[in-house]
Amino acid sequence: MAVSEEAILRSELRWTIVVTGTITVIMVAILYAGIVHHINPPSNIETVDPKTLHLTGEFTEENLGTSIDAGGQITARMVATQFAFQPQCILLPANKRVTLRFASPDVIHGILVTGTNVNTMIVPGYVSQVHTVFTRTGDLLMPCHEYCGLGHSQMWATVRVVPEAEFKPDGSGRALCDAR
Amino acid sequence: MKPADLDDLDRPWRTWASLIIGGMLAFSIVMGFVVIPVVQGYGAGIDPFTAICRAVGLVPGSPSTRQPTSAAKAEPTTQVAWSTQLLRTLSRPTDMGAVVAEGCVACHGQRGIASDPQNPNLAGQSAVAIYKQLHDYKTGSRANDIMTPIAQTLEENQIRAVSVHFAAANRRSLDPTTAEVVDEDIVRLVERGDPARALPACNSCHGFSAGGPIETPTLSHQNREYLARQLRAFRDSSRRNDIYTRMRSVSAKLTDREINRLAEFYATTLQY
Ligand code: HEC
Ligand code: HEC
Ligand SMILES: [Cu+2]
Repeated sequence: MAVSEEAILRSELRWTIVVTGTITVIMVAILYAGIVHHINPPSNIETVDPKTLHLTGEFTEENLGTSIDAGGQITARMVATQFAFQPQCILLPANKRVTLRFASPDVIHGILVTGTNVNTMIVPGYVSQVHTVFTRTGDLLMPCHEYCGLGHSQMWATVRVVPEAEFKPDGSGRALCDAR
Repeated sequence: MKPADLDDLDRPWRTWASLIIGGMLAFSIVMGFVVIPVVQGYGAGIDPFTAICRAVGLVPGSPSTRQPTSAAKAEPTTQVAWSTQLLRTLSRPTDMGAVVAEGCVACHGQRGIASDPQNPNLAGQSAVAIYKQLHDYKTGSRANDIMTPIAQTLEENQIRAVSVHFAAANRRSLDPTTAEVVDEDIVRLVERGDPARALPACNSCHGFSAGGPIETPTLSHQNREYLARQLRAFRDSSRRNDIYTRMRSVSAKLTDREINRLAEFYATTLQY
């Protein structure tokens, strides 16, 4: 059975159009999510030793929570550990650019802040970093969304977003939930 | 048609497809690794080279935001860090263990089972847990008028040896007739926790081979008075050597009744 070269070409062209169209729709959806909703893959590659996380520097117990540095940058640091977040509540201002930094000393955890674009895995050995702006005020639920062990379903924390005027860090630039 | 003709026919397709894919790749690389980072970095006051390194993943941070700095002074809750090498020695019995243990029998009992219920049993406790507690007494992370001076006289290798020694001893045997029937809500706390209070089940960490933090001590067959005292100490933060407030955050949510009943449960129930 002889099929003409022309017929084959036309068929190939039709399928090319279908495939190109499908890929275009997917790419547009990704671009839309990325540009309009600010949902992007994490871009921070930063390593930290999970075995000594509690001993040195940034992720020691005393240093966790929200703090403002000299340049006015607002950073909240949190540790995800079996089966709780430390601290269990972080205080942040609305409508300001904030940076969230997470680390895990044990297994893989994950977080999302409900109703926002914050969603990341927390992998031992790496610092997970998210920049965002919270527009809604109130207590936002932040559950662990990566199965981390038997206590996983009780593992959640609160992100307390307050109006900018009510966000008053203390003299050392720290802001804690219960200090209000 | 001859195969050579087919090849000729395909060539323009191949050429164009390769050009388009190559072009898209080049465009993405230039946009993603050079143009966008440099432009974003410009707005955030980041020099072009750093911005490109960040975008490629060579340097931590995002090209559009200043990287937060931390001038943290370390105030660790404990000095213990688990290394494979340390964990390996905590599974190897030595002759030194029994010798060091002679200094402990007065309070912790001949075979690690204390006669005074205020003192903890050490028999059958995990070597990792005993090691961490002794190390913490020694460094001051956990303070106790009796144990601190004792731990300070022990060398690192003695601590390891005595930990392995007591871990190998048989646990206190329980009398089935004294096992207390505990309220349902206490059993629920032990087995299921309380999601509304973000309270994980005690057994998600303390249960047999539960897979929680490795330094988690065994609670069953422990003395009730000792257990209750520790829970209160965690609750008022007079004991604060638990890494990342694992036990302080749990006990802060417990009521007095729950503490007493949980201690009773673990001290008398045969199951765990
Ligand atoms: C004079 C009595 C006494 C002697 C001797 C003694 N201990 Fe203790 N030990 C105690 C008491 C009391 C506690 C509970 C302290 C507290 O509440 O913090 C304790 C607690 C401990 C703990 C913590 C247990 C846990 O579950 O957290 C360990 C481990 C321990 N002792 C090991 C030892 C070793 C090893 C020796 C011997 C080198 C020893 N002790 C000698 C009285 C003693
Ligand atoms: C997130 C894991 C976790 C959960 C959940 C948990 N514990 Fe613990 N618990 C620990 C760890 C880890 C320690 C040891 C702390 C340290 O490093 O000194 C501990 C220590 C204790 C101690 C002191 C034991 C000793 O020998 O000194 C008691 C008592 C205790 N837990 C009771 C409980 C009870 C009761 C519950 C449930 C309401 C509970 N724990 C839930 C992890 C947990
Ligand atoms: Cu988790």
